[in-house]
Parts: sequence; structure tokens; C-alpha cells
Amino acid sequence: MDKKINTSLFVACQQCDAIYDKPHLKQGQLAKCNRCGSTLIERKVDSIERSFNWSLAGLMLMLPAILLPIMGVTLAGQFHQASLFDCILVLIDRGFFMIACLVFLFAIAVPIVRLAGALYLSYCFKFNKLKPSLLNFFRAYHHLDHWAMLNVFMLGIVVSMYKLLDDTELTINLGLLAFILWLICSTMSAVALDQDYIWDKLERKFPRSCIHGNC
Amino acid sequence: MATAKDKGLALCPKCHKLNPATAEPVICVRCHGKFYQRKRNSLQYTLAWNVAALLAFIPANLYPIMIVYQLGIGDEATILSGIGEFIEHGLYPIAIIIFTASIIVPLIKIIGLFVLVYKVHTGIRLKPDKHSKIYHILEFLGPWSMLDVFVVALMVTVVELGFVTSVAAGPAINYFTITVIFTMFAANSFDPRLLWDKQTSESVNNSSNTLSEQKDRNDK
Repeated sequence: MDKKINTSLFVACQQCDAIYDKPHLKQGQLAKCNRCGSTLIERKVDSIERSFNWSLAGLMLMLPAILLPIMGVTLAGQFHQASLFDCILVLIDRGFFMIACLVFLFAIAVPIVRLAGALYLSYCFKFNKLKPSLLNFFRAYHHLDHWAMLNVFMLGIVVSMYKLLDDTELTINLGLLAFILWLICSTMSAVALDQDYIWDKLERKFPRSCIHGNC
Repeated sequence: MATAKDKGLALCPKCHKLNPATAEPVICVRCHGKFYQRKRNSLQYTLAWNVAALLAFIPANLYPIMIVYQLGIGDEATILSGIGEFIEHGLYPIAIIIFTASIIVPLIKIIGLFVLVYKVHTGIRLKPDKHSKIYHILEFLGPWSMLDVFVVALMVTVVELGFVTSVAAGPAINYFTITVIFTMFAANSFDPRLLWDKQTSESVNNSSNTLSEQKDRNDK
């Protein structure tokens, strides 16, 4: 009996599994679960355009954010400054491999991969070059959802600046500005990406259920 | 309220597509990924990661996290003694931020997940709406305890003036990152839908009626 239900007419809440008729939403509207209050589905405004532009901007800002020095200290006549990339080199040089790996993964690699992934996806949608590999690609993209920690790193920069301000002369460089802009771009590109829309479109383009005779 | 599980449906965790839950693992018709109707062995995994995180949290607090060398003399500081130094210097905002991020947040996460696992397992005084909010908060807090690690990494890099002053990371930093990552794994392996399952199992009989009504409507 269950097999006859057309599953595309329903949505279920990800947090509490309550089931609803699929609402028809206009751009900018979102549906919330009655029971637990989490978002069921959301139609974002101009999702593809926006995530394309934000992720392109993010990728352009990537190099200055990583390579330009973020801050420098002056103490007893000596001056030393460091960029995000120096940060990793110094950590490896001094034998702190674990923190070096973590900083590289969470503050450089994951944000870059996410930005590049968002750019590739929105590029394919924008110029209508959909291919079945996008299904796997977008599924893999979700594995990185929790692991981008640019915002935490930003707070880390603020805290250590405050810490250093106490007993050294601190200089702020252009790298900090680039880093903040990079943080904004990567956050916005992740926010702008409309998952439900992308999945719906991919499903319509590459229906698998038809192969098995379910539709 | 009817749930997808009552109707023999399963929600794909990656693409949020409803699938008929015929055989476990279900293969999603939309994204072709394998998944289970509920995260498999969710409580055991959460408990295991949680215990591991708690164990790693002990050396994280006992060993020094940062060693400040001034003119060749090393000064070791653990997480707590570092916070004590901030308070002595009058840097209260930093002391509060570091204390929250590196002591309170990991502890709250570990204790909170233990409580959630216990409540789901026993079903005693389980309030799904309240407890799922707690879970959301725990999930959100996850990465923020990495703050201390990033601060130490930045201090090591920036304050590198040879003999005059330099900063080295202590062994506690490794244990601390393990704690944070394990609590994140623990939170990810918990399935919030388990909180609601016990409540809805009583109303299964009612929901089967609405199912047939909806089916009629679809046929038309």
C-alpha cells in the first residue's frame, strides 16, 4: 500500500520527521514545521545568480586573504608579521603538525573546496550544463557543511589581537580586510545556495525512479 | 501528527527526498545515496564519541596549552591558569570568551548529549520540543570551541621574535582539539528524530486514516 504514495507530493521535517503536503512556495518564502519549528523547505531569491557571484568573489579574495599578512607585532625593536599561509609554515617548521593540519583544513582547505563547489554548481546551473555527475557532487558537498570554521578563526584573530595589544605594539595589515571579505563571501555563497531548488531540478533532469518503474 | 516513519517513508539526509523505506539501507531515488530511516546505532555512536571526548578533555586541562618564552625562560600555562592570568591583568572580556569557549562549551556539549542519550534511551520525562531545542544549541556551539586552538596557532605564528619572546604550543592543544572534534562527531551522530519517535508511536493508528484520505486526494 505504501508504494503507491507519490513521494514527491510530500515533505518531511528533517528534525522531527513530521510529514506534510508539499507547499508551493514563491521565491523568498519558506515553510516551517508546525511541531518543532525548523525550516522544511525554502525558496531563495535568485539563488543561482547570487551564489555564483558570491563564490566567484570569494575565490578572487582567496589569494590575498591567505597570502597577505594579517597582523604584525613590534617588540623590543623587532618586527614580525604573519599571514595565514605563514601561520601554517611556521607551525610545521616548529613541529606542531596537528594544529598546522587543523588550521589548514578548517580555515583554508574546507572553505576553498566549498567555494569552488558552489561556483561549479551554480556555473552548471547558470549555463544549463547539467550532468548526472552533479548528483554525486552535490551529495558530497554536504559532507563539508559543519567543517568550515572561518568565523571561529575570525574570532580567534580578534581574541589574539586583544591579547597582543596588552604588551606589544600591534599593526594590522591588509590581509585582515581581505580575510574579513573572504569570510563574508564564503558565508553568503553558502547561504545563497538553494538546496531544494537544485535537487528538484536535478531530479527532473535525471529521474532515476523511471528506470525502476516507480513513476 | 503523522511522521514519515509511520507511513513507511524515509527521508534522505543529504537531499531531503522522501523515499519508500522498503529495505535497509534505502537507496535514494534522487541522489542515489545509501541511507537508513534513522541514523543507525545513533545512540551508541553518540555515547562512544562522547565518552572519548570526555576522556580527552582531562589531559587537555592538566597539560600546559601554551608556553611563553621570554628571554629563554619558559612559562607554562594550562587553560585554567591562562584564564587566571587574564583576570589578573584585568582583561575580563577575553577571560570570559576563552572560559566560555574552552571550558563551558565542551562541558555543556558533553553533558547535554549524555542527558539527551539517556532521555531517549529511557524515555523518562522526554519533552521533544524542549530537548530538540537543546540539541540545536549543542549542534550550533560545536565549532566555536576551536577558538582556543586558533588563538594558540596565531600566537605561535605572530609572536616569533627569536630569543626575546616566542610562544610554543603545549601538549594539551592536541588533546583539546581531539575533544572538540569528538564532540562534533557525537553531535552529528545523534538523530534528533529519535526524540519525537516515542511520542508519535501512540498516534500511529490515527495517522493511518489521514494517509488514506491523502491518497484519495492524490488519485483525483
